Amino acid sequence: MVEITLRVNGAACTGSPEARMTLADFLRDDLNLTGTHLGCEQGACGACTVIVDGRAVRSCLMLAVQAAGSEVTTIEGLAPDGGLGTLQQAMWDSHSFQCGFCTPGMVMQAVAFLSDHPDAGEQQIREALSGNICRCTGYQSIIDGVLLAAERNRKH
Amino acid sequence: MAAIAAERYTGASIKRSEDPRILTGAGRYVDDIKLPGMLHAAFVRSPLAHARVLSVDVSAARALPGVVAALTGAELEAMTVPGPDALMALMGWTGPTPEFTLLATDKVRFAGDPVAVVVAESRYVAEDGCELVEVEYDELPPVTNASFALDPSSPPLFANLGDNIASPHSRSEFGDVTATFANADRVIDFRIGVHRHQNVPMEGRGCVASYDADLGVMTVYAATQSVHVSKIAVAMRLGMEQDKVRVLAGDIGGSFGLKIGASREELAVAAASRALGQPVKWVEDRGENLTTSGQAREESFDVRAAVSNDGDLLGLDVKMVIDTGAYPGMGTMVPAIVEAMLPGPYKLAALGFESTAATTNKASYVAYRGPWASETFMRERVLDLIAKDLGLDPVEIRLRNVAPRTDPPAVMITGRPLAGVTTRESLERIAQLVDFPAFRRRQAEARARGRYLGIGVATFIEEAPGPRPPEGRSGPLSTESMRLRLEEDGVVALFTGQMPHGQSHQTTLAQIAADEFGVPFEQVRVVVGDTDVVPFGLTGGSRSATMAGGVALHGARQLKAKVLDFAAHLMEASARDLQITDGQVWVRGDPASAIGVGEVARRAASGQFGPGVDADLEVVAAFDGGEGGWSGGSHCAIVEVDVETGLVTVERYAVAEDCGALINPAIVDGQIRGGVAQGIGAVLLERSAYDEDGNCQSATFMDYLVPTACDIPRIEIEHLETVALDADVNFRGVGEGGMIVAPPTVVNAIEDALSPFGVRIYEQHLPPARILELIAAVDSQK
Repeated sequence: MVEITLRVNGAACTGSPEARMTLADFLRDDLNLTGTHLGCEQGACGACTVIVDGRAVRSCLMLAVQAAGSEVTTIEGLAPDGGLGTLQQAMWDSHSFQCGFCTPGMVMQAVAFLSDHPDAGEQQIREALSGNICRCTGYQSIIDGVLLAAERNRKH
Repeated sequence: MAAIAAERYTGASIKRSEDPRILTGAGRYVDDIKLPGMLHAAFVRSPLAHARVLSVDVSAARALPGVVAALTGAELEAMTVPGPDALMALMGWTGPTPEFTLLATDKVRFAGDPVAVVVAESRYVAEDGCELVEVEYDELPPVTNASFALDPSSPPLFANLGDNIASPHSRSEFGDVTATFANADRVIDFRIGVHRHQNVPMEGRGCVASYDADLGVMTVYAATQSVHVSKIAVAMRLGMEQDKVRVLAGDIGGSFGLKIGASREELAVAAASRALGQPVKWVEDRGENLTTSGQAREESFDVRAAVSNDGDLLGLDVKMVIDTGAYPGMGTMVPAIVEAMLPGPYKLAALGFESTAATTNKASYVAYRGPWASETFMRERVLDLIAKDLGLDPVEIRLRNVAPRTDPPAVMITGRPLAGVTTRESLERIAQLVDFPAFRRRQAEARARGRYLGIGVATFIEEAPGPRPPEGRSGPLSTESMRLRLEEDGVVALFTGQMPHGQSHQTTLAQIAADEFGVPFEQVRVVVGDTDVVPFGLTGGSRSATMAGGVALHGARQLKAKVLDFAAHLMEASARDLQITDGQVWVRGDPASAIGVGEVARRAASGQFGPGVDADLEVVAAFDGGEGGWSGGSHCAIVEVDVETGLVTVERYAVAEDCGALINPAIVDGQIRGGVAQGIGAVLLERSAYDEDGNCQSATFMDYLVPTACDIPRIEIEHLETVALDADVNFRGVGEGGMIVAPPTVVNAIEDALSPFGVRIYEQHLPPARILELIAAVDSQK
């Protein structure tokens, strides 16, 4: 066990994961933040994407101990009080998702991307999300949700 | 939540009620379940495709701190009941029935076959324990393809079968096959194959089983397309009374046919929980999902086509072989559906059909979105091959062969009436949407510059649910039930056996019931996923739109009638003069009389009306599909093939679809696009690959490639005006169609792109390397 301190969704927290425990398992099992999903544990599908110190990270490929001292944001911390942020709302309005399993990772990836690329066009968004697998939708509704969020962001 | 203003919810793209939880991480999937004292299971799996198990030594695993149990196949066998696959039993399968156990005992039958299960305090420790289990094997020759499996010299996978035939050869003839072929201008032979590929839901299989020894009750939290089918499987294999088994399910991360009932691993986990008296969780990892959960297709067709010189497809004579993998289940039932659907919407006059199902040392065949889809692939490929021989346009040959819409309807040579089928209309619509002459000009210009564009068209129909047969529907899934209740808070609760895993039933069924009963959409609650409270049902086979949509409509109507009968006593009016709108019951013409439906329910529950008045505001409705009807459509793809790299780009994809009346257009379009994406993936990327020793070569997402956002184009969808067959329920299933027809659409386009090379394509999987091989093979013949 290794003692670690980090900030998760804006709040300080401590934990004592085994050295081999992934950040994903630490979030899900020790912190009960089950919104972060595991789709492959091979770093290929993106379902477990969270934001660590401002960057989208695959939490299945990062050890919990590597996150010591970091600021981690998960899907649960995206909008206050269980509400929806701009991107989440745009995705709801766009019928972006079906089964919802890829959703948290897709949302976190898109949030991180849009914050760096507020004027991104469709092709850039497709490329940015191409490391996140969705098996249900054919992606179009997801891309439309991100485009709608970018447009709304620009208006505000 | 703000009320949604709509004249009618049905037919509008109402935003999904599932989304607020899914978008905030508040969905509850099976891996999110945590129970006090819960243990974690991991499986020891065979590294060999085919071998005798000589010994299994779990002692070192048991000694590992944190390991609670390590159970061998023999130990599991002693705790469980032998029997057939639950789904096959449910469907009334009477063919050869191989005997097998939940975990391998005497032998292993594919690389990944579970041999032992380790249960520990964490998944990490359970996997550590698996590393310590010693298994001795005596390797047997692997049976890695169907042709070897059908060779009598192949070693049988199942001793009690004596050979590798899961479903014996059978032949049927419809129409006069001999005369049709004798009189045809041309008889053309093909061998067409479909490769092995698989469902790959983003959430794999998994369950948490929790046995209460004091009550003798097993509770299973499952990821399943039917909590009741899972319950039947658990009760059967654990030798329990069905009323001692309860199966619950929350959100499910996709399935596409994989999660029907309970798999061998899930049943083993339930048995382990009962043995230990503690909850046990197992969630497969992606490696297990890709190599062991199940795979689909891998069928071959030897086809003879009887054709006229004008392009009439007169008859087909088809020999199908299906590779069911190691543990036969769904695969043995697919050929009968292929046979029935093979004529499609065409006026085929004769069909000979033979099939054989073979067992091989590969992961078992499972249902995958349109399990019989290879009939459409084969037929739509044959039509294009014939068109090329005769110099016909792909739309033209299809229009020429489509059965005319007549009254009474034309009947497929295999027996189904083609009532309300709009194939002709969808082909004509596709030809309007995509300007073929303009494309041909562009194609010619591109070729002159060394670029190869192609256009492909294919069409399908799906029995979703199919027209009502004259003798009525029969079988375990021929009716759909629903319990509906008006709650005291004014909520209309629908209890459905549907188990949505992406289909959005909590939205669509609420839309229908809200309209029919007369309450706001937000005032309908759709309850799923608990065998104690929902009736039998299954989400699959594109059944839900008609069957569940229909029972929601009729059930809401029945509940409304019952509520009005009661309200008549309450309001001292005739029920005929009462109506319900916007959640209020009122006397027609007297808005001041309105009272909320919740108040009506509270008064009913008060008991003040005595036994003479039926105050039980609940109904159990059933629906048999009504007049039913067909789903169908025509798709068109435009592709570019880079003949230097073999890379195929889908430039445009257009759909003209008829799935009856739309409940929620955005949800319908999502189903179509998702199916098309899987179909494009099947052709360009996906293959469950095995080497000659039976090792699965596609165990990761780096080897089994699924489409990403850069691989799938925008998909244009037009909905045709449907032919209403039923007075009330004309919603038809749309879940499978995209996956059924996209593969031939894309392959037809690729062949068209490669026509300057003279390439003919008889297969479905066309990754870049294969494209280059096809071009090179033709070049070398020149």
